[in-house]
Amino acid sequence: MIVARGVHKSFGQLEVLKGIDLTLGEGDVVGLIGASGSGKSTFLRCLNLLEVPDAGQIIIDGEDVLAKGANVDRLRRSIGMVFQNFNLFPHLSVLQNITLGPIRLRGLERAVAEGEAAELLASVGLTDKIRAYPRQLSGGQKQRVAIARALAMHPKVMLFDEPTSALDPELVNEVLDVIGRLAANGMTMVIVTHEMGFAREVADRIAFVHAGRILEMAPPAELFGNPREGRTAEFLSKVL
Amino acid sequence: MDHEVVSSYVPALLNGLGLTLILTLASMIAGTILGFALAMMRLSRFLILGGITTLYGTLVRGLPLLIQILLVYFGLPLLTGIRMPAVVAGAVALSLFTAGYMAEVIRSGIVGVDPGQMEAGRSIGFSYWQSMRLIVLPQAFRMMIPNIANQFSITLKDTSLLSVIGVVELTMAGQTIYALNFDTIRVLAMVGALYLLVFFAAERLSSLVEARIRR
Repeated sequence: MIVARGVHKSFGQLEVLKGIDLTLGEGDVVGLIGASGSGKSTFLRCLNLLEVPDAGQIIIDGEDVLAKGANVDRLRRSIGMVFQNFNLFPHLSVLQNITLGPIRLRGLERAVAEGEAAELLASVGLTDKIRAYPRQLSGGQKQRVAIARALAMHPKVMLFDEPTSALDPELVNEVLDVIGRLAANGMTMVIVTHEMGFAREVADRIAFVHAGRILEMAPPAELFGNPREGRTAEFLSKVL
Repeated sequence: MDHEVVSSYVPALLNGLGLTLILTLASMIAGTILGFALAMMRLSRFLILGGITTLYGTLVRGLPLLIQILLVYFGLPLLTGIRMPAVVAGAVALSLFTAGYMAEVIRSGIVGVDPGQMEAGRSIGFSYWQSMRLIVLPQAFRMMIPNIANQFSITLKDTSLLSVIGVVELTMAGQTIYALNFDTIRVLAMVGALYLLVFFAAERLSSLVEARIRR
């Protein structure tokens, strides 16, 4: 479903990604772990072209998205993204945040879009916040709205960029629960996270990113229990 | 105070005030449209467009407005071969001037919006322009309101400079009266009061809009 090959990205002199390969099948859940600055977030952002790779290939559903003439806007509709800082639209209500895309881009009638939004909000446990504005929500509630907003486009893949890093500790679980349920329902996902326990539980594969490369990728039990690379073991010993 | 004399000034001054308001509004509208274009050029990836706006800003901010008015009034007919009435030349000069400052008001409003907002818009599948229109600009506009009101009052007061090319706006209307009867102070006091009146009205309106939006 997603194939990334030899993805390179530099910011000025700094080479952040030095050739990353990743293949994602339908229903796969991949956790990207690694130290800050390892390039895992940048790679995630390359997958929906919020960052444009300098070299390499990204193929989504058979379409080379870096080819000239590829319709990036259309492509992004099928890739949901959840940000560390939520990025809800502060001038719109929760309901409007969720229905903006469906009404404008999927061409849904307002009533239909609002019905879908209500269902999505129920699924993330926020039915009572439908008329609220983002500033009235806690961090965990904001992030759950952000997830509902991404899901409202009916994406084939969901990308999570450190979805709980900006949350107070007591709010982390409500967000992880929602993501875990998505995984259980078969959503294809790539999750950049520092929550090792969660990654272990929810991911089919864990990729350890180090210095712009995937150093090691394996099922969680294997990577956490018996890492092949010294650097992986070193990283895990610091965070576990 | 000779009440009758004073009230005899009112119709001419109100005519002048009317033209002042028309010139101010026209310059604000045209200046905002052109200023928006300049701001977008400034924010674009193309350096040449940014260079053009920088040059434009330097000219508008570096030259005295009086010189700009005279340049447009005398220069444009030479360039285009079309003679234009003073009021049109004045409106053009003030619009160009206002655009130079509005460009910066709009640019700073847009860059004041968290870049994550544009990214969130793009990640949903909106194009750059859709994200701009639906997500970034509504938020930027809130931050721009005080600056727009400020620019309005600057443009309002600067319409008085158009008196030098013979546009009968409020200041010129006053001058026309006291040139004949030498009732200088009273006429100028009335003229000043009218400017202040519009200024206060604009200020009040801006805080109302701001309060409404912040709710």
